[in-house]
Amino acid sequence: MEPVIQVSGLHKAYGDFEAVRGIDFDVSEGEVFGLLGPNGAGKTTTVEILEGLRARSQGQVKVLGFDPEVSKNSLKDRIGVCLQATNMPDKLRVHEALEWFAAFYSRRADCNKLLQRLQLWEKRNDFYSKLSGGQKQRVALALALVNEPNLVFLDEPTTGLDPQVRLEIHSLIEELKAAKRTILLTTHYIEEAERLCDRVAIIDQGKIVAMGSPRELQERIFGQSRIEVVTALPMPAELPVFEAVVKHSLSDDRKTLVVESTRPARTLPDLIKWIDQKGLELEDIHLKRPTLEDVFIELTGKKLRD
Amino acid sequence: MLNSYLTQIRMNLLLTLRNRVALFFSYIFPLIFFGFAGMGGGGGNGQQVVGIVLGLGVLGGGLFGVGMRAVQDREQNILRRFKVAPIGPGEIIVSGMVTALALQLPNIIFMVALAHRFLGAPWPTQPISLLVFVSLGLLSFASLGGIIAALVNSMQEGMLLTQLFYFPLLFLGGITFPIVGFPLWLQTVAQFIPSTYFSSGLQPILRGKETIFDNLPAAGALALTALLGTLLAAKLFRWEKEEKLRPAAKFWLLAVLGPFFVLGAWQMHAKTNIAKAKVLGRDVQRSRTALIRDARLFLGDGTVIDQGSVLIKDGKIAEIYMGPAPDAKSLRADAIEAAGKTLLPGLIDVHVHLGTPGLPITDPQFYQNPDGNFDRELAAYLFSGVTAVKSAGDQPDMVSKHRATNASGERLGAELFADDPSSTTVVDGIEHGAMRGNVPAPGATYDPMLAAVEGMQAYAEGKTDLLDRSLVQQVMPRQWFAQAKSSITSAPRQATAPFRLDLAKQNLAEAYRAGVTLVTGTDSGDPLVVHGPAVHRELQLWVEAGIPPAAALQGATYNTARLLRADQRIGLIRKGYDANLLLVDGNPLQDISATERISTVFFKGERVDRSELFDQK
Repeated sequence: MEPVIQVSGLHKAYGDFEAVRGIDFDVSEGEVFGLLGPNGAGKTTTVEILEGLRARSQGQVKVLGFDPEVSKNSLKDRIGVCLQATNMPDKLRVHEALEWFAAFYSRRADCNKLLQRLQLWEKRNDFYSKLSGGQKQRVALALALVNEPNLVFLDEPTTGLDPQVRLEIHSLIEELKAAKRTILLTTHYIEEAERLCDRVAIIDQGKIVAMGSPRELQERIFGQSRIEVVTALPMPAELPVFEAVVKHSLSDDRKTLVVESTRPARTLPDLIKWIDQKGLELEDIHLKRPTLEDVFIELTGKKLRD
Repeated sequence: MLNSYLTQIRMNLLLTLRNRVALFFSYIFPLIFFGFAGMGGGGGNGQQVVGIVLGLGVLGGGLFGVGMRAVQDREQNILRRFKVAPIGPGEIIVSGMVTALALQLPNIIFMVALAHRFLGAPWPTQPISLLVFVSLGLLSFASLGGIIAALVNSMQEGMLLTQLFYFPLLFLGGITFPIVGFPLWLQTVAQFIPSTYFSSGLQPILRGKETIFDNLPAAGALALTALLGTLLAAKLFRWEKEEKLRPAAKFWLLAVLGPFFVLGAWQMHAKTNIAKAKVLGRDVQRSRTALIRDARLFLGDGTVIDQGSVLIKDGKIAEIYMGPAPDAKSLRADAIEAAGKTLLPGLIDVHVHLGTPGLPITDPQFYQNPDGNFDRELAAYLFSGVTAVKSAGDQPDMVSKHRATNASGERLGAELFADDPSSTTVVDGIEHGAMRGNVPAPGATYDPMLAAVEGMQAYAEGKTDLLDRSLVQQVMPRQWFAQAKSSITSAPRQATAPFRLDLAKQNLAEAYRAGVTLVTGTDSGDPLVVHGPAVHRELQLWVEAGIPPAAALQGATYNTARLLRADQRIGLIRKGYDANLLLVDGNPLQDISATERISTVFFKGERVDRSELFDQK
């Protein structure tokens, strides 16, 4: 099946400044694809080119089979968009906002059901200006779904929201994922990408520096997990050779051991068995996978959020 | 597609109706203005008030409504969300314009209804023309607002630039008051401004004097601006503050105003719209309501009311009250106190020669400006309270030209009747009566021409005292006075006068006793028979000949109107007649020379500013 989004060799320059410098990726149907990167990495520019809002400088782009620059309105009719910041007139009621936007599309969702699904039913007659930040963001999501789109662009959907609201939005996005919608998500929240995305492209300074499932990325970069054990008695200075362990280090008091393993499922029982045999008394044990944050730092040499 | 427009318009309307500031400016403000202008007393005309209120609403609603909404929505990042929906700038602008229209049209109907109910303004007789023309105006102003919205970056900038357009469009365009009061150069500048064409079409359409088809260039230019402006506003439309505008875009604004540059350039040459502005200004003057209170009324047919009042409205005599005058304020009329004065129908002279000055002028320049002479002489008649004259033997093309400019109100002067041979032949026996020895038969119409006889006699005898008469002094240009005097005194004396005043007076007295109908036809233009004052002199000579003043005055009013076959409209103080009136100090029924002591001249309802009659541009 043809990918829903195809991007190859995409460039975008604003005057002398090159915001996007050669990006390639595909998104297949039903996939949640994340663009992860710091502010100014070129995420929003890329998404806006895909949405038909900006012209590209170079490269090939196809979204739902359309060239966004040519078939702007046909494309806009079939996608859902949740902008980084959405605003509506103060004196517009919630249900009116939905009806208003629904009128623009050839396919329309049932606005009442949408309001209920996004927990806006109680607020449907409220003025937009009276809503909380989370409620406003749910309205923005509702507007993105008002045309029952198969492809949804979510540009930093949880930026600036408090953690509780962020979790609410996450579960809404998971519902969309369960309903087999294709989603392109941009974010600079690691947890968001890890939790929601099937695949992630890490983008920095206008280029994709790595791409794959969050797990693949972690493994490709580090290829190993880190196991930390703490014992009551000091361990012998000479350790046996465990299978799949690449590296180990022992603390000065010889009570804390950190090993890095390519097969933690194998290494973990080996370690516990050895501590037990030696009678060292296990006090604590951690298995730690590398995060996308670690991956990002490894790849770009900087943190996602400054 | 249609659904998307309709929803867009519905939501725009909803949002406007929820916006207190917008509501105030759209509905309450015009109402307040209406209250001030309409209920403030005085004799202002309801249609004029409606015209101003509509103009304010259409200009303000158009310029500010659509454009400022767009700027505000852009500034608040609302438009961004619309940008990712499948609609274009055109839809946003067009539905904004339709919204402005939907907000204004009920206002128009409401204001017209208010004016009808409270100010006694008639219903517009051209409602379709009115609605179409007003809509074109609104759409063209709205499209300008849309372009301004695209050019500015913030609300502040937007308000500033819009006001920069609003005030000239309002004041220079003649929406609040007629541009005829401006100096000529400013009137010419105004011809480059869209609202000038809007107001010069709106007023006459509102009064039912014209339809949209009489204003096709104006309607066309407004429509073209609306069309070009909408296209351009859509092309320049900016969804986000960050979107940059090409510097050249600003020049497109000039292209939109192009139709008006063309019209303006054409008007610099044709000047028809400046003439129209004069007419509009005149219409405003003529449409005022005034109550002339507690005068002695001479109705024209010989009837005298010792104390009465006359209500003038929309250029006509609306009501005549006997006894003590009613309250002017309750009639929404300007009060003109006339106790001790006498009100007569405007005087009429049925025999004048506008091609000659009535003075022996030797200056060759005089004869090179026949148009100027016609204008000056017709003004002199009005100055003297003579509101209608019939030309005898002047060039027909000159007569019809000046008849037209006076009739339209472009120039202020006595109503000019053409020398229609058919009208003179049907009246029996009208002759230069003074020149004949015998008296016309009873039932005939008789024009004694005593003033002409007196003038020609004085001229033959080299006497200049007729030039010293007060009214003559007032209407005669200063530079001619000495010239005329020396020309008379140096003219060769004739042995005997060709005509004899004493004989002419006898003829008149006999004719009167025989029951002929007397009319004033002065033959003005002959030497020492001065355009305007001659009618008053004629009446004085009649009374000297023994004619009762009432009969003399009837000869200068009702009888002459009948001769002109205009007695269904002029020559009498009667309800429905043209408000052509002469208010004089004292009582001419006792002292006929009182007619020269003119207090006020009313012409087609206008209180004529006599001091400016000779300075018309």
